[in-house]
Amino acid sequence: MKLAILLFLWQASPVNMKAYDTPNDAGGSITITWELDSSWVVSRIEIYRTQDLNAPDTLIETLFKPETQFQDIGVMDKKPYYYRVLIYHGDTLVAEGRTTEPAISTQQWFNSKRLSVLIIILIYTAFLLYFIMRARVDKNLFIRKIAGLEAIDEAVGRSTEMGRPILYIMGLGYISDIPTVASLAILKRVAYKAAEYEADVIVPCYDPIVMVAAQETVKEGYIEAGRPDLYKESNIYFLTSDQFGYAAGVDGIMMRQRPGAVFLQGYFYAESLILAETGHSIGAIQISGTTAVTQLPFFIASTDYTLIGEEMYAASAYLSRDALSLGTIKGEDYIKMVLVIIILIGSLMETFGIGNHMLINFFNIF
Amino acid sequence: MKKEIPLAITFISGFLLVLALFIPHKPFGNLEEIFNDWYIIVSGFTMLLGIDSLLEYNFKKIRRKEKDAPYSLILILSFFLTLIWGVTEIVRTPEHNPFSPTSTFSKYFYNSIFMPLQSTMFAILSFFIASAAYRAFRAKEFNSALLLVSAVIVMLGRIPLGQGAAPYVITVIFLIFAWYFYAESVGITETGTKLLYILVAVAFIALIYPIGWVYLKQHIPSFADWVMNVPQMAGKRGIMIGIALGGIAMSIRIILGIERTYMK
Repeated sequence: MKLAILLFLWQASPVNMKAYDTPNDAGGSITITWELDSSWVVSRIEIYRTQDLNAPDTLIETLFKPETQFQDIGVMDKKPYYYRVLIYHGDTLVAEGRTTEPAISTQQWFNSKRLSVLIIILIYTAFLLYFIMRARVDKNLFIRKIAGLEAIDEAVGRSTEMGRPILYIMGLGYISDIPTVASLAILKRVAYKAAEYEADVIVPCYDPIVMVAAQETVKEGYIEAGRPDLYKESNIYFLTSDQFGYAAGVDGIMMRQRPGAVFLQGYFYAESLILAETGHSIGAIQISGTTAVTQLPFFIASTDYTLIGEEMYAASAYLSRDALSLGTIKGEDYIKMVLVIIILIGSLMETFGIGNHMLINFFNIF
Repeated sequence: MKKEIPLAITFISGFLLVLALFIPHKPFGNLEEIFNDWYIIVSGFTMLLGIDSLLEYNFKKIRRKEKDAPYSLILILSFFLTLIWGVTEIVRTPEHNPFSPTSTFSKYFYNSIFMPLQSTMFAILSFFIASAAYRAFRAKEFNSALLLVSAVIVMLGRIPLGQGAAPYVITVIFLIFAWYFYAESVGITETGTKLLYILVAVAFIALIYPIGWVYLKQHIPSFADWVMNVPQMAGKRGIMIGIALGGIAMSIRIILGIERTYMK
């Protein structure tokens, strides 16, 4: 009897529960939190919800882990909800969370977690606008030499001298990927030079939309060079949307057509080394560029020149020497300096044990 | 108007997506999702464009009787075989997906031909890695020697038998270095320099046991972790910050219409 009374008292252990509108969301969600005693062995947690305190509540979720938070995404905005949790060990009720205060879900107009991103973007935009305006006045903004881009003309020229075509590989990126757009800018330059030297440019594509964009880009390059008659649309074609099928197809083109220059510009995955090594084996001059950090070492090891990450994005500005574009590159350099300073200050504060400073969560955005 | 309308669409959609990053409130909150759905619908139709391009390219090759025409013929035959097989399966067993693992198409054609070919490509990759590594790790100068040393440490620290093999590998490497310095010393006439070279060679031999068999045997995994977590990560993060900023700059150029190489 005494044991039963003790068990009953134990069962009634209260749990400190809270229910509140999930912050920084598009509504339709309430977050419920509760506390667990470390001595409890939890087998399941039942969460109950009601809109009317006089009506019985209904079970909405059962958690089978000792969690302390749940996000209820099945609620309507601007209506009050009450919650209760029951914590079990086997079939024994360990503890019960008392019914919460009413929680009302609403939509937020600003995601405060991303404030740091907004600050950086505003500073960045200010830098960009300043340098774009400066570039309009001072047309000779200095940008360091990028060997990979300087070598484009040499590669196209060498390939032409050898009487071989130029192979341009855009990787597995889609038109919605920024590296693919950056690659198109480089392709335009390659096409322009190829038209000047009367060489063929072959572009096997992984994605049909990229293929259409590549056709337009090459055509523009030939038109700008004054040789639209040399443009061959059939040289820019769709190969396959399968990763290793694409790698095999491009390898086949390399082995059969023996291009003098191979450009690997875009976003690449595991096929990067297969392509670059095959290009190396046929003796082609290779210029690669990607923003895929995991593939960069392969390109550096296997190709003659590599555009590392951001150098690819700088290509269109670098090649066109357009003042507006150069301004954005300059702005990028300055914001990078600002970020380096913030990272250094943060590292020093951590090193010297100055805890709880504002930089701790500055880059913690998601 | 041919340029202005696409530029206006790019500007509005780009700007809205940037706004959507900060505003969770409807209609901004799910804007990215909506745009992605539209992209998927459009890109689904463009597959027809791709098939048209592929077939036209290969038909042309066959018609012109080019050197590679047999490959094109195989491609076209495979394409139509797949198509006819898929359609027949749909007609015969409409309740089954022709590409499900239980269909005859998947069993015979996809699993028996396509998958082995794809696996072969991936297997070849390991040989390409070896040949690329051979070129990259040749210690021609200080930087490449540094790369070679860190690569050896990482490989020994990460592979299953690496820790056990480490002392033997270190012994061989140190013996090679000792032999190199000794061989260099033979041609040197100046006594001081000759002695220095011989001393370095002796030092390499003397250090085999304390470094290779005592210290590194125990600490090689933590050394490998240090290389991966500190110098490697520092370099990688630098590149990644640059890529992120470059991406933002490129996006701003696209949104503002400064970058328009993707347009006619």
